[in-house]
Amino acid sequence: MPLTGRAFVLQVLNGISFGALLFLLSSGFQLIFGLMRIVNLAHGSFYLVGGYIGLSVLRASGNFWLAVGAAALGVAAIGLVVELGLLRRLRGQAMPEVLLTVGLSLIFADLSLARWGGDPQLLPGPPGLRSSVHIGSVTYPTFRLFVLALGALVAVGLWLLLSRTRIGAVVRAGADDQEMVMALGVNIRAVFAGAFTIGALLAGIAGIVGGVFLGLYPGADGEILLFALVVVILGGLGSLQGAMIGSLLVGLIDAFGRELVPSLSYFLLFAPMALVLIFRPRGLFGKTAS
Amino acid sequence: MNTPRLRLRRPSDPGRVLPSALKLGGLAAVLALLVSLPFLTGSFYVSLGTQALYLGLFALSINLLAGYGGMITLGQAGVSGIAGYGLAIFLTRFNLPLGVAMVAALAVTVVAAAFLGLLAMRTSGVYFLMVTLAEGMVIWGIAQRWNTLTGGDNGMRGVNRPGFAAVYWKYYYFTLVVVAACTALIALIVRSPFGLTLRGIRESEGRMGPLGYNVALHKLVAFTVAGAFAGVSGMLLAMDNNFFSPASVHLKASADGLLMSILGGMGTLTGAFVGSGVFVFITNYVSGYITRWPTLLGLIFVLVILFARDGIVGAWNRWVWAPLLRRVGQAEQAELAEEAAREVASGLLSGPPASVATKGGPQ
Repeated sequence: MPLTGRAFVLQVLNGISFGALLFLLSSGFQLIFGLMRIVNLAHGSFYLVGGYIGLSVLRASGNFWLAVGAAALGVAAIGLVVELGLLRRLRGQAMPEVLLTVGLSLIFADLSLARWGGDPQLLPGPPGLRSSVHIGSVTYPTFRLFVLALGALVAVGLWLLLSRTRIGAVVRAGADDQEMVMALGVNIRAVFAGAFTIGALLAGIAGIVGGVFLGLYPGADGEILLFALVVVILGGLGSLQGAMIGSLLVGLIDAFGRELVPSLSYFLLFAPMALVLIFRPRGLFGKTAS
Repeated sequence: MNTPRLRLRRPSDPGRVLPSALKLGGLAAVLALLVSLPFLTGSFYVSLGTQALYLGLFALSINLLAGYGGMITLGQAGVSGIAGYGLAIFLTRFNLPLGVAMVAALAVTVVAAAFLGLLAMRTSGVYFLMVTLAEGMVIWGIAQRWNTLTGGDNGMRGVNRPGFAAVYWKYYYFTLVVVAACTALIALIVRSPFGLTLRGIRESEGRMGPLGYNVALHKLVAFTVAGAFAGVSGMLLAMDNNFFSPASVHLKASADGLLMSILGGMGTLTGAFVGSGVFVFITNYVSGYITRWPTLLGLIFVLVILFARDGIVGAWNRWVWAPLLRRVGQAEQAELAEEAAREVASGLLSGPPASVATKGGPQ
């Protein structure tokens, strides 16, 4: 089925805005991995729980932005507790750390089901962003454009934070050589806790944004985690640039896949993943193994 | 051909006679119990037994990869799902006879596992885990979305048990025979030079290459073989329920299998079945008393990772079997048992650290 020009533009916009959502999620994932070498498989749960917290606050207060704040802070708090209470005990043991996050994701999934039920829920967007705008001949929901802008904002913000500030310098140094950073008198444990918390916070924001445009339901955690992992496998573990390019690629592939071959759109994700794994197993922006 | 310098335990070793006699006796007792189960109890528990057997085989297939090869996978339910769906599709859409459908489904699974393994074999450690997770979830996504082939969310019915094993207790024996045969095969595989090489890869992937082993090929073969066994368990599951759905392919199912294999004891044959037994007990029996049993499972997962990585079999070796051997004067054997327990736990820690480009500092 050939695409008309309008449909093409629409899918490009869909792809980029979904990519922006994926970036919100995968940038936190990458931040955590880049510094702490933890593959956080509870990231999808952080996303889903963030969305659900947002839903509850939105229902109670009617204020979308308050809900965003609550989702971000709520999930950040959960992240902090997980890092200080559990992950810290396993520091440096890559596999047990990952498996711990797998166990946690099972717990989060079940508790969310108990608290918020099994029915899919779609969050209403904020009042100012519920309309659509015209871009050429295409009418497009404002909220999706907002997500696109948010993704860009987070990208620029993270880049500035990492490359232009003292905290960023410590994080980059910590990713390269923890012992040296500790010897220089930096409290690396606090930096770790901070990075994990910010990663969780970003996932919480992604959750409420995703709740508006994809909806929340049991299983959404695993689905979004798959997308985040494909992003990371494409872009390369630990690379923020990789997360950006990977998010855009996956967003676009998914948008066009859903349009052209709906039943096989997941299979389309496989193709770039396979190519990257065969020719660049470390991902497009992953550094080669030492 | 060189075999790696792992300690081979020979039955001819005089200090070995009593412990191996005890072990053989134990095995015989367990087999006798399994065979007599339908005579001892009713259909509910026999069905649970059936479930524990094929889930045990599933956990064992993960164990073959993870416990022996150091390749911890979170996508094995995807592989077993290909067999389950394959069987359902060949039976209901192509109307093939059951035997032919089983062979065809298994063949498809082996080919698919080889393909998935081809993509994953150059990665290791947590990266391998991520890749297999993504692979498994893509298969789940296809099962979920390709309605015309897989029935989507509704799953597929019409996966009938073999005519000669339709009744619950006959199906139990059918499962017992198939699972026992597969377990015997896996026991042979892990004791073969191939199995020893796998263990070598688990202990030190970087050294096996220079020693002349084709590491990637060994990992690929292990992935394919483990996939075949996962496929058998997927077909047993499909026939048991007369149904197959995306839930059996989901990441959760893969994580459950991994939980069983860690809980029982990685790198041991018995561990997989001990783990599946506990799992089936919790999901079917305890769930009658505790509504939030999935949380309980997650909690067990977390606690095992934090405090008991060598699992139930490891704990048994350490706290019961080794002291018992010491008491009968088999100190050397006791040490071996403790070493085995440590090895089990170390399987979870092995594999290169997740570093991408650290300057080689300790992780």
